[in-house]
Amino acid sequence: MSAASGVVARFGLAGGGAALRVRFIGVIVFQLLLMAVFTLARPRFASWDNLQSVLFTAAILAMAAAGQTLVVLTGNLDLSVGSIMGATAYVVFDLTGTMPALGPWVVLIAVLIGLVLGAVNGFLVTTLQIPSIVATLGTLSVYRGFVSFYANAKEVTVGELPPWTRSLAAARVLGLSSYVWIAVVLVIAVGVMLRGVPWGRELYAYGSNPRAAYYYGLSSTRIVVTGYIGAGIIAAVVGLLLGAQVGNINSLLASGIEMQVLAAVVIGGVSIWGGSGSVYGAALGAVVLATINNGLVLLGVQEYYRLLFQGLAIVAAVAVDALVQRRVLRATRRRSVGVAA
Amino acid sequence: MRTQRQRKLAGVSVIAIAGMILAACSTTAPTAPGDDSGSSSSAESSGGDSPNPADIKIFMAPKFTGLAYFEVARAGGEKAGSELGIDFQYIGSDKPETTEQIATLTNAVPQSPDALVVSAIDGDAVAPALKEAMGKGIKVVTYDADAAADARDLFINQLSYELAAKTMLDAALLNSPDGGLVAFISASPTAPNHTAHVKIMKELIDTDPAYSSLSYVDTVQFAGDDATKSQQLALDLIQAHPDLKVIISSSAVSAPAAEQAIINAGKAGQVWATGFALPSSVRDFIKSGDSVAFALWDPAELGYVATIAAYQLVTGEITTDPGTVIDAGDAGQYTVLEGGEVQYNKPLMFTADNIDDFDF
Amino acid sequence: MRRAIRAYAPELLLVALIVLAAMWSSTLSPYFLNAVNLLNSAQFFVIFALMAFGLFPVVVQGEIDISLASTLAVGAVLMAKMSVAGIPLLVGLAITLAATAVLGAVNGVLVAHFGLPSLAVTLGTLGAYRGIAYLIAGDAGVTGITPDYLLLGSSWVGIVPSSVILALVVAAGFWVLMGRTAFGRYSYAIGASPGAARMAAVPVRRIRVSAYALAGAMAGLAGLVWVSQYQSARGDNADGAILFVLTAVVLGGVSIKGGTGKTEGVLLATILLGTIQTGMQLANVPGTSQRLVVGALLIASIGAPRVVHLARHAWTTSRRRLSPTAVAQD
Repeated sequence: MSAASGVVARFGLAGGGAALRVRFIGVIVFQLLLMAVFTLARPRFASWDNLQSVLFTAAILAMAAAGQTLVVLTGNLDLSVGSIMGATAYVVFDLTGTMPALGPWVVLIAVLIGLVLGAVNGFLVTTLQIPSIVATLGTLSVYRGFVSFYANAKEVTVGELPPWTRSLAAARVLGLSSYVWIAVVLVIAVGVMLRGVPWGRELYAYGSNPRAAYYYGLSSTRIVVTGYIGAGIIAAVVGLLLGAQVGNINSLLASGIEMQVLAAVVIGGVSIWGGSGSVYGAALGAVVLATINNGLVLLGVQEYYRLLFQGLAIVAAVAVDALVQRRVLRATRRRSVGVAA
Repeated sequence: MRTQRQRKLAGVSVIAIAGMILAACSTTAPTAPGDDSGSSSSAESSGGDSPNPADIKIFMAPKFTGLAYFEVARAGGEKAGSELGIDFQYIGSDKPETTEQIATLTNAVPQSPDALVVSAIDGDAVAPALKEAMGKGIKVVTYDADAAADARDLFINQLSYELAAKTMLDAALLNSPDGGLVAFISASPTAPNHTAHVKIMKELIDTDPAYSSLSYVDTVQFAGDDATKSQQLALDLIQAHPDLKVIISSSAVSAPAAEQAIINAGKAGQVWATGFALPSSVRDFIKSGDSVAFALWDPAELGYVATIAAYQLVTGEITTDPGTVIDAGDAGQYTVLEGGEVQYNKPLMFTADNIDDFDF
Repeated sequence: MRRAIRAYAPELLLVALIVLAAMWSSTLSPYFLNAVNLLNSAQFFVIFALMAFGLFPVVVQGEIDISLASTLAVGAVLMAKMSVAGIPLLVGLAITLAATAVLGAVNGVLVAHFGLPSLAVTLGTLGAYRGIAYLIAGDAGVTGITPDYLLLGSSWVGIVPSSVILALVVAAGFWVLMGRTAFGRYSYAIGASPGAARMAAVPVRRIRVSAYALAGAMAGLAGLVWVSQYQSARGDNADGAILFVLTAVVLGGVSIKGGTGKTEGVLLATILLGTIQTGMQLANVPGTSQRLVVGALLIASIGAPRVVHLARHAWTTSRRRLSPTAVAQD
């Protein structure tokens, strides 16, 4: 018995059961439609070689979107995700360049960096009560400024990267890139944690109805800060992976990725208002974006149309999602008697 | 504004003020006190005496700070600065945005430098700011990426567009001697040098027998100098064109990133990425054999020559007339062409034989 | 007197910060304190100011619009194309403003009539409109603008550039709009409580759509200023500018949750950001540091009131334990 499941049961909204599944189905349908259209236009799209390539290009974004979901579920945003990714990649690989003996400890350093940067975000949003869009807009600049300062216009060249990271980026298991497997494991881990661990359920409860959560004695500070720390750690680790994938790292790595991460989250059916959506949806949202990119290149479509198409896809996905949410809300309102939502 | 009378008064005063403003409108810029006397070293004011170098100020403004390529050029400019004994400053924002660069240049003008050495993000948008500078007697020299021709005195072009195109195609052939299908990744549709490179590369492939073994994909992809985007495009291009052999990019960020993507996908040796890149970025690829050749020029020397040219313009040693020779000492001698372009034209091809000779 | 100070506290804080910034800037660089140069540099911020004023009513209503920079690009390339096609300035302006207002209205309809979350919707239109801008502009962008379109960027009234005058006129207009008209009153009401506003017979949907359309039109006007200042237009114009605009609005005391904020605040915030940025650039401060300063300023200015509150609270209740779930003010 936990306060969180009590809230969920009482108010009938949020993470569990039917609501989740229906939203998720929306993204799947969208993705299948895309794939059908592209395959018709160019059969090569459906080849295994191409599909596994699409999954590879989606991997980094899918993991970043999963991390961002932790924050969006609480009704907040983390616009600094790109800066955290870039800062971690640069600092860690710069350190390994000068201190090769570090070896796999770099992952721990990355986790620490993500933890601290995420905690700062959480602190600004909860204790200082700065609206998350403003706070993370500020930390986006500050974190990026720090890495620019640290880098001093030098690049970390691909030769300085530890060999094991580069092998990891190129490794393949069962025909799929190792990154795809890492992404799958990470997304499932986060998804399971959100459903199974009490904190995860509290996240959904708080996000769908902060006031009720308060009355139930849930600590908003703890929930939100943990969400930001989780997102920060994931962003840091993803940054590490991205650095290994890219090879030559400059201080602008992952600059501007926050828009894409948000797009993936939104397309994936995670509600911007908080309280509903799943990491699986967010990860699938990333796959949708990668599919669009791939399909348009396959069809030789010009860059301009890609921007247009992506933008329309986002609006369409949001519209579908809102439709679904309204249906579900109506259904659950009928079920839970006499409760104001 | 409750009463009718108050409202009428407000309305009348608004119209009156508007009228006065329209009447006072003029199209000549107001001059700030001490504006044109800023360049104390200009030959006119001192009646033709040799100006004191220490009084000469030259600003170098790259597209944005923080990119290794521009840092190397900066080193060259600073070397020229210290050799000449002038005040050399490196200015700019670290964001690759046109508005930021324009703000930098607009705020450079009141500091009364004697010359600006600029690499333009948007050659047309910076033109008004540069023209304003020229109007105040500041010499404007562009390097790496040109601005509108009437907004600058000289353009130090690292490689003429034709030579650049040929060099990249040669690098492509070194990687894939049997030729094959080629795809292009540029920075943005509005980057004039990249656009020119691609256009000429396509022409050369069509008409020049030396490149007859090559063919190309017509649609150009744009990565905006972003490493991640470059990789995604490289991978998608490989899928879109199964017989793709070479990916060519003028962007020093995109070319190495694409090569790394190819290696990650396990296609090294079947597909190659090449184009312009710093040797330090590609040393690993060349040494491991995954890549055979990349190209570039010496950015330090480019920055050096650009700064020397700016200095010589300021002191009146040279003019912008076609045929004028710029003597950059050890760095060589360069002739000004029609339209104020100076072609540096010293391409470097990085292969396994010489990659260790370079330290940038 | 005290009531006036309390009512205008955020704006007075901004004024104090501007003075401080100006003093700091003048120590950084001897070129700062020069009226002509300052006004020249001020020209540069007109575009952002116009967009900030356009965004202002939208945020007051509790929504957001991050697609404005893309709308500006559409406006700029439209104006440029019409200039090259020989269409007279006022006709071209009218067409562009209408077009960009429509783009804004699309956002508004999606948010107000379909109830979609504004952040997500404008995230989509941000990309879509940018694509449209590229399509209109073509590869190389548009140059060869006719002199009548350049007038705004190359004429002065005394020592004040015309575009700065335009910004001030627009500021005055918004002051009247938000402070003295039904639209303004309704906007604040909607931002404070949409439900209550609806029940009070406020035409919520119409006001929302109007705000978005107005924002779009402002972006279109900013497009004219762009063309007149930079004498060209390309699809990638102002890419990324929305972050600065949002910073200016938030810094100006407009709550992101809606319901509060004054025009003066937005104007002052733009001036503050402009002062700091100009000061740093006149002193050739490295780009990295500029970025750090602006980011830190944003956080500090929004977080400072809370820090003060917390400090005071800790001081006066040092014995009493605080409940950590101080969440009620949502």
